[in-house]
Amino acid sequence: MMNHLKNLCMINGASGDEGSVRNYLISNLDSKAEYHTDNLGNLIVFKKGRKSPSKKIMLDAHMDEVGLIVTSIKEDGTLTVNEVGGVDPSVVTGRQVVIGKNGLSGVIGSRAIHNLSTEEREKVPSMESIYVDFGAENKEDAEKYVSPGDYIYFLQSYEEFGDGFVMSKAIDDRFGCALLLELINSNLEYDAYFTFSVQEELGLRGAKTAAFAVKPDIAIVVETTTASDINGVSGSKRVCELGKGTVVSFMDRSTMYDKELYNIAFEIAENKHIPCQTKTMIAGGNNSGAIHVTGCGVKTIAVSLPCRYLHSPSCTANTSDMKSCLELVSELLTRAAEL
Amino acid sequence: MDLKKVIFELSEAKGVSGSEENAAQTALKYLKNYTSDCLIKNGNVIGHFGKRSKNIPHILIDAHIDQIGLIVTAITDDGFIKVSNVGGIDRRLLPAQRVVIHGKKDIKAVVSSVPPHLAGSEKGKALKIEDICIDAGMSRDDLLLYVSAGDKISFDTTCRELLNGRITGSALDDRSGVASVLYALELLDMDNLSCSFSVVFSTQEELGERGAKIAAYEINPDIAIAVDVSFAYTCGDKEYECGKLGNGPMIGISPSLSREISEKLIDVCCDKNIPFQREVMHGLTSTNADQFSVNREGCKACTVSVPLKYMHTPSEVIMLEDVRHTGELLAEFLRRC
Repeated sequence: MMNHLKNLCMINGASGDEGSVRNYLISNLDSKAEYHTDNLGNLIVFKKGRKSPSKKIMLDAHMDEVGLIVTSIKEDGTLTVNEVGGVDPSVVTGRQVVIGKNGLSGVIGSRAIHNLSTEEREKVPSMESIYVDFGAENKEDAEKYVSPGDYIYFLQSYEEFGDGFVMSKAIDDRFGCALLLELINSNLEYDAYFTFSVQEELGLRGAKTAAFAVKPDIAIVVETTTASDINGVSGSKRVCELGKGTVVSFMDRSTMYDKELYNIAFEIAENKHIPCQTKTMIAGGNNSGAIHVTGCGVKTIAVSLPCRYLHSPSCTANTSDMKSCLELVSELLTRAAEL
Repeated sequence: MDLKKVIFELSEAKGVSGSEENAAQTALKYLKNYTSDCLIKNGNVIGHFGKRSKNIPHILIDAHIDQIGLIVTAITDDGFIKVSNVGGIDRRLLPAQRVVIHGKKDIKAVVSSVPPHLAGSEKGKALKIEDICIDAGMSRDDLLLYVSAGDKISFDTTCRELLNGRITGSALDDRSGVASVLYALELLDMDNLSCSFSVVFSTQEELGERGAKIAAYEINPDIAIAVDVSFAYTCGDKEYECGKLGNGPMIGISPSLSREISEKLIDVCCDKNIPFQREVMHGLTSTNADQFSVNREGCKACTVSVPLKYMHTPSEVIMLEDVRHTGELLAEFLRRC
């Protein structure tokens, strides 16, 4: 799983540009898995287990990551951009980036601090004021290489550091993709559907059509979630903590999770000694929001990896939590099939 | 010499002010190709050329070897590292920035940041330096094995090529100046020079030109050139206050500099068709030249600067041709002294 995670994080695939992620997943699928890609770009996989459950189970992870998109080319050859998904300007200002299909190098320019007013020095630039400089002499020169609509990505760099930590762009949600791939390529007890969905970062759009196609009874969404367990943040505002295991929440801004599945998750965690925690703030959302209201309704649970600095070039997570997520999801899949 | 390779190597070497050893050793390695009379003294890399005599001028060619960064001030109980700035850090671009802590060993880490939905009224504001924490993914006890107060921290970036001969990286302020001086040495035929000169790659410029002060005292030059970087026009700047990337070295003109040397540098460019730009300042220059001019009994000082965009960010941008032209200017200037 860790090898797939690293490879997946190094691939560029913002919302609407998930093709390379999908190709990687397809080329690494177990030969016994059946799959198809729907009109929106979702990769839908079916894998037979030893038994067929009475209920249809679906596991979901989203393929897309946050990024930027070129909105126009300025006369001086620099590019205006806007965010694809939630990107805070403070995590892109002054950074190296990669542009378009050809992977051109660029930087997000930032005026020298020497030339800023006292007021300007204290204010993070707005997304409207951000531009990308890739060395083009002028607009005409730039147009040879870049078109409006091209994607801009954080520079790829996957780093293992500290005591079992990993930092990279796109851990949200390539971790979920890596975990699902691991399950598909294992010997499953029960048949299951796996959806690798597009456009989560734009508002849970891919999961809507994927869930419509699969029509599951039960869904397990594998995600990453914001941890704020950093210095200076205390109590419930820490939301969840790295190293304390997988995260199962009872409610977020998209979903009121199925109580039965929530209770089962913690029961499994306790019995199997899998570190597991819940979120101490009602915040964020994920594909569960689209899935649980599909058709006549789907019993849904989300199992998440706690992650610091989400939506930045340096999403930070702990490998021990990744292991906890994998263990819990495997057990949940079996238990859900027996409901 | 492969100038681009030298720039990359110098840019990726580390040398936050006061801890320049790694960058200084890299520069010294190249300097040794041109003189055996060179060493690192009190942090400054110093090399001497030609035979010094009372009747001929002695010239100092300087570029600073240090870079901006952060310094460890404390380790918190929950394993985060508190810091202060070394030189002019832009705090607005620190969140989620990759860094390297230069402790007993180099440790990769990331600048911690509060998620936007928890930032509240602080959203959109730059972090205060006292609120900045570094996350090395380690407990306090583990950190204490490798990290101590006073250790330096630098941006974890590599040098990369952009289109049209542009290069991006950190510490191009002033490693591109160092590279231009080395390129000048490459161009010179030392046996046919009528002057003697010393090269200094000086420490702690970013803290107030401190290395330059002691180097100038020791060398006691008649003429000194501070080779640094200066502002290339960037969107939002006032055009009349900046140079332009690709338009050649910026020659300083200021009441605090020697007009004679400024004119001489301009003459060299005109004669040799080297592109150049006049950088007019109205007082001090905020470069090592400010120290050189008032050294001992005074010295004729001037600045020559490589135009650079996005100064003090991890993504500074220069143009290779500007570095090359700066080297050509320095070499020809020395031939004429």
